[in-house]
Amino acid sequence: MLRNIPRPGRRELLAFVLLVVEIIFFSFMTDNFATLNNAWNILRNATDLAIISIGMTLVIISGGMDISAGAALGLVALVVGRGLEAGLPTPVLVLIALGMGALLGTINGLIITYGRIADIIATLGTNNILRAAIFALLGGRWITGLPGTFNGLVLGKIWGIPVPVFLILAAYAIFLYITTFRRFGQSIYAVGNNSEAAKLAGINFRLTKIGAYAVMGLLTGVAALVYLGRMGSVEITVGLDIGLRSVAAVVIGGTAITGGRGSLVGTLIGVLFIDVMKNGLVMLGVPSIWDRALVGLLIVLSVTADRYFEVQTARARLKGRAASRHHGPQTPSVAAEGR
Amino acid sequence: MRWLSNRVAFLGVLALVVATVMSLISPYFLSLNNLLGMTQFGAVIALVGMGQSLVILGGGGGFDLSIGSVLSMAAVTIGLLAKAGVNVWLAALLGVIAAGLMGAINGLLVTRIGIPPFIGTLGTMYTWAAIPLIITKGIPLSGFPEAFGFLGQGSILGIPAQVVLFTIPLFILLQYAMTRTVFGRSVYLVGVNSEAAQLAGINVKRVRLSLYIISGVLAGFGAVIMSSWLLSARPDVGNGYEFQALTVAVLGGFNIFGGEGTLPGVMMSALIVTMIASGLQLANVNTIWQLAALGFILLGAVIINQAISARNQKRFGIKV
Repeated sequence: MLRNIPRPGRRELLAFVLLVVEIIFFSFMTDNFATLNNAWNILRNATDLAIISIGMTLVIISGGMDISAGAALGLVALVVGRGLEAGLPTPVLVLIALGMGALLGTINGLIITYGRIADIIATLGTNNILRAAIFALLGGRWITGLPGTFNGLVLGKIWGIPVPVFLILAAYAIFLYITTFRRFGQSIYAVGNNSEAAKLAGINFRLTKIGAYAVMGLLTGVAALVYLGRMGSVEITVGLDIGLRSVAAVVIGGTAITGGRGSLVGTLIGVLFIDVMKNGLVMLGVPSIWDRALVGLLIVLSVTADRYFEVQTARARLKGRAASRHHGPQTPSVAAEGR
Repeated sequence: MRWLSNRVAFLGVLALVVATVMSLISPYFLSLNNLLGMTQFGAVIALVGMGQSLVILGGGGGFDLSIGSVLSMAAVTIGLLAKAGVNVWLAALLGVIAAGLMGAINGLLVTRIGIPPFIGTLGTMYTWAAIPLIITKGIPLSGFPEAFGFLGQGSILGIPAQVVLFTIPLFILLQYAMTRTVFGRSVYLVGVNSEAAQLAGINVKRVRLSLYIISGVLAGFGAVIMSSWLLSARPDVGNGYEFQALTVAVLGGFNIFGGEGTLPGVMMSALIVTMIASGLQLANVNTIWQLAALGFILLGAVIINQAISARNQKRFGIKV
């Protein structure tokens, strides 16, 4: 089972090349892009997206999708923000954030597995419910002027290097280890690849799936703390775009949207691609609303590219088989109808 | 559980229950004015609900998240054309055609390129949502002639014009197409078993593509109604419609895996969703709770659908 170690492949390499091209493009087009300060700035702004995208990667690899991630981040940030206002001690706030995030994720997992509801529909439903809760709890008033308890997560520096760098690296290292070497991580791949086969192989389908969503929730809680540290306020629009952006990061990084294939290395490249784009566009003076349209477009383009590669590989394989005159009983269909 | 299987009857009972509860909450609920005003809101919901339902019906994970954004795009198209001096009725027609083209893009992404529907339409949802805001800079386009307002504000024999002129005729047309034409029956077959449909000589891809186009066109009609009603083209007018459409479709009995559900069910569930929204408004409940209510209805409805299919599976030994 532990042999299925996802090595960074062609697809991650492609994403990396695109990132490099993007960076070169913005370096030539604007004056202030290619500075160390700006690089740190991009990383700081990317921290919550980077962390939440780990969870999104696991969920998507398991064959799922979480539309409610942004709303969950918002609700956690809101509750912790209220806690900050009330002067609760920091460890309690951290526990609240992680516990609440994990709980919200677990609820999604339970609805999906025990209610046997398609992932996207279930999380669309919880997304609306969470959004309503945010609205009700905020009551049209923003939470502002919060004490900077969590500022260190974003603004702090260790040995002259911003804390977000360590935060991102540590989180990715941990989950790269889990997805590569731990049974849980491998089960996620197995479940996403072929849930029936995974069940027959003795993998607990429900537990794995719920686990993926719980991890997603837990990381959403962490991202909420980062968000508070970065923004110092909670508004009604909290987390509105981060869900879509993380889906985009995951598919740009080459994770198959249908599950079973992908890697965190790719996701990290995807996250950087998206945040470099956001930063670069601002420097070019492009209105920020364009960013949304481009992210939507990027999702479509990445998945299109993926399909193209998939079909090419399948064709090459079929050709190879024909050439070696091996006539198997049935050739696998190139594009299996999803039903 | 058996009574749940007759979807339209079940929804009828549910509608009565909702109406009773709402009239207990607010005495104005059952007034003729409110009931007619309600159908004004419900007209667009029913249209986009039918579009979503048909896409879902075609199976293969069919799903259209971009409905609301297509509606916004079409509205802004109409607004821009009208502003450029094009006759407003012609502009409206072109808006509907534009919406159909956007539906075709979704359909081509799904059928020709093979992108999973939810991710393809998620991408177009955000793209189409952003472009109207970019074009208009977030400011509604006004300047429609007063006469155009009739479609959304006027009434015929006391019934709102959009219901008489759009929702009911389109419902009858689609219901006829679904039940009495080769196309309609092939949609069901494609949804139930696409391979069998393919073997039976049905062009599965073309059927699904046309469903996405229909969904786009219906959103286009929604845009005409909304622009006429507001006498301006708001760039964010379609926000949230994709979710209402999905809720209406699922509550209406459309199995998200396709091949199951009827349009009368959609009309009934559109009525129920509209009653709840309108009742909550009368009861002075913040509109945001309607969003939460929709969320709960959606989840509840899917769970009921799943229970029904599980029961059928057990009883008839077929996988639905």
